[in-house]
Amino acid sequence: MSEEAVVKKPKRPLPKSRVMLNALVDSIYEDAYEAERKGEPVGWSTSIFPQEICATFGVPVLFPENNAAGIAARHDSTRFIQTSEGKLGYSNDICSYARLSIGMAHQIANDPDYEPPALRMPRPTFLLCATNSCFELLKWYECLSRELDIPIFMQDCLFNCFEEEPAVHRNKFGKSQILHNIQRMEEFFGKKFDWEKFEEIQKISGENSRLFDECVAMNDKNPSPLNGFDLFNYMAPMVIARGRRETTEVLLQLKREIQEHIDNGTTTFGSTKEEYRVDWEGIACWPNLGYNLKTMKKYGINCVTNGYVGAWSLHYTPGNLEEMASQYMLSSTNVLSTRSMMGKRSDVANRFGCDGMLCHVNRSCKYMTYHMFVGREIVEEKCKIPVVTFDGDQADPTIFNEAQFETRVQGLVEIMKQNKEGK
Amino acid sequence: MADVRALLEEFDRISKSPKQLLKEYNEAGEKVVGCFYYTPQPLITALGMVPMGLWGGQVNPQVAGKYSPIFTCSILRSCLEYGMTGEYEGLSAAIMPILCDTFRGTCSAWRAGVNIKLIPFVHPQNRKDPGALDYLIEEYKYVKSELEDVAGKTCTDAELKASIRLHNQKNKVIREFCSVANDHLDIITAVERHHVMKAITFMKPEIIIEKLTALIEALKAEPVCNWTGKKVILTGITAEPDDLLAGFTANNIAVVGDDLMQESRLYRTDYPSANSAMESLALQWLQIKGCSMAHDDNNRARGENLVEMARAKGADAVVCCMMRFCDTEEYDEPYILETVRNAGFMAFSIDIDQSTSDSGQAITKIQAFAENNV
Repeated sequence: MSEEAVVKKPKRPLPKSRVMLNALVDSIYEDAYEAERKGEPVGWSTSIFPQEICATFGVPVLFPENNAAGIAARHDSTRFIQTSEGKLGYSNDICSYARLSIGMAHQIANDPDYEPPALRMPRPTFLLCATNSCFELLKWYECLSRELDIPIFMQDCLFNCFEEEPAVHRNKFGKSQILHNIQRMEEFFGKKFDWEKFEEIQKISGENSRLFDECVAMNDKNPSPLNGFDLFNYMAPMVIARGRRETTEVLLQLKREIQEHIDNGTTTFGSTKEEYRVDWEGIACWPNLGYNLKTMKKYGINCVTNGYVGAWSLHYTPGNLEEMASQYMLSSTNVLSTRSMMGKRSDVANRFGCDGMLCHVNRSCKYMTYHMFVGREIVEEKCKIPVVTFDGDQADPTIFNEAQFETRVQGLVEIMKQNKEGK
Repeated sequence: MADVRALLEEFDRISKSPKQLLKEYNEAGEKVVGCFYYTPQPLITALGMVPMGLWGGQVNPQVAGKYSPIFTCSILRSCLEYGMTGEYEGLSAAIMPILCDTFRGTCSAWRAGVNIKLIPFVHPQNRKDPGALDYLIEEYKYVKSELEDVAGKTCTDAELKASIRLHNQKNKVIREFCSVANDHLDIITAVERHHVMKAITFMKPEIIIEKLTALIEALKAEPVCNWTGKKVILTGITAEPDDLLAGFTANNIAVVGDDLMQESRLYRTDYPSANSAMESLALQWLQIKGCSMAHDDNNRARGENLVEMARAKGADAVVCCMMRFCDTEEYDEPYILETVRNAGFMAFSIDIDQSTSDSGQAITKIQAFAENNV
């Protein structure tokens, strides 16, 4: 970074939807702090666990992946990662979200001088683990379970090796786990499960999923009304509060704002002309988000869509537990075969009129990287667009290289430009 | 002693040339099915085919990198390399349990780059759930149906039960070999032990029973060795190559037990009696203990198993053989080292990397352990 004095531009005021979103996030954390103060149960959960269950029990749950992303974006991940790698002896090969949260859990449990990050995670009394985002989540949560001496409630979301919908026996196993987890939680929380409330929360989750999909789909306009990275922010309420009415309000407001942009021909991409529309694949490179955005703007690139943000859109009939289980086995890109996943991404890239695909080879996310290596031929064949990769990480700032990123972006622009001129 | 030597040489030869054995099976008109890690092998035997372990090899991949990122575990990269370069030619199919993220990726990569029928399936990790057994039975029915297509025939429940009995008998003989070997640590060095344990992953169960029984009898005829050197337990996915294992022998260290995926993990849990053969196959997975790839509600099960094993075998240390880039094992590493040390044993890790033949760093660690008289 240049050492010359930089004159900072005044920050643009946040749109109303972001203000509402921030208030929602604050209130969810406050609920968890309140439970912690009262000595009541508080959970840590993987990001795509059936949160409808704990929402029905009225037990607060927070999400280490979501929290880790925020910490990484604020450049505060290193101290937790160092605890994991140094004091605890974990390999730097394992997921950086895991290293961050295991280090944090250790500090919470053992360090009397522990300094929490800006968004403090309360000490959990139980863990919720779904294996859809990846298998290694289970290993990570085993470590948290040992570190904090607390139980895991698991929803085993079986990897779908095939292109078809999950077979019936898989959905039955998923349903069995939902029922068994509810039974175990009734005992653990000492509360009776309210099936009517459960169905109501399922309905709200469905409505929010539909609204979120609509917001994402509206971005196919040219120019795109949103800067694609905005979606990384708006997925937060889907991750942490999918079953709440407040999320519905945020998404309705977002939808209104997107429509206004479309009507006025404006975009949050700013005054830069959208020369190229790109599909971003992979988790955000959180420690380097600003640099990524700035560099792409420099070349007129807007990431109008990405496959990651849609993982929390789950559509099932309320009350139908097999359908619900099936959706949790299909939601994440990492629970699908590459042919399924990259086939879907190709369709979206075509629908959004993408000129290229930019893939974050995330050192922490091995299977997503396989998708890129194995799937690039599928995308190139179906979309006839260039696919370019760059190295980075979702929370470990030591992997990403600014020069490599810009060089790769330049290479992508060169091919996209030639393709446009050839049209 | 001549019998022991002859048998050990045979195991040595097979462990180093599975491709030759595959060729011999094919020439005899037998169909061979490649097996990654935990697979329901009795199904293959019951259908008249031969199960053969797939363990990659010491190779610096040249083509696997097209589909497989360099930071993924070296054993599955080398398996992919062998699949893509024709080394596995002669296999009629390969069964792949999706036991980790690298298996998820290798499943897609295999389909893109290897021209051998793949039969992937998924074990339940939530093994205590009441629905896990029924789920796995159905999953194995799918595997069975795919194997029947390959074999061109079906098998009855009675034939499958007979096959299960055969595999349980095989397991028993292998466990007996591991036990008897510890009375002859002057003969069964770390390298020899590994050759036997690796070779049997390529051999038919009935041949394993025959050859290992002969080896056990031949060993029993030899005087019991009072081993005065150090003793270790190995844990991990594999412990290779020979150069690395020779480092133990050179430093007067014997391997007295293992918790390796390629070796004892595959044989320590029998197929239990059940209402049907398929149920027996599925129950076996639910009863596996202390493995990094089978979630246990007891989150310290593997560490406790290792301590128990070290006590039972009189070991001085547990050596964590870390397969390079195997994150599933890497998550376990800190706690198993800590658990073993807290129980009063030494514990250390060495790197296992199939993409290089240089074991210098691991051998230095072994030397340091040998010189440490604590």
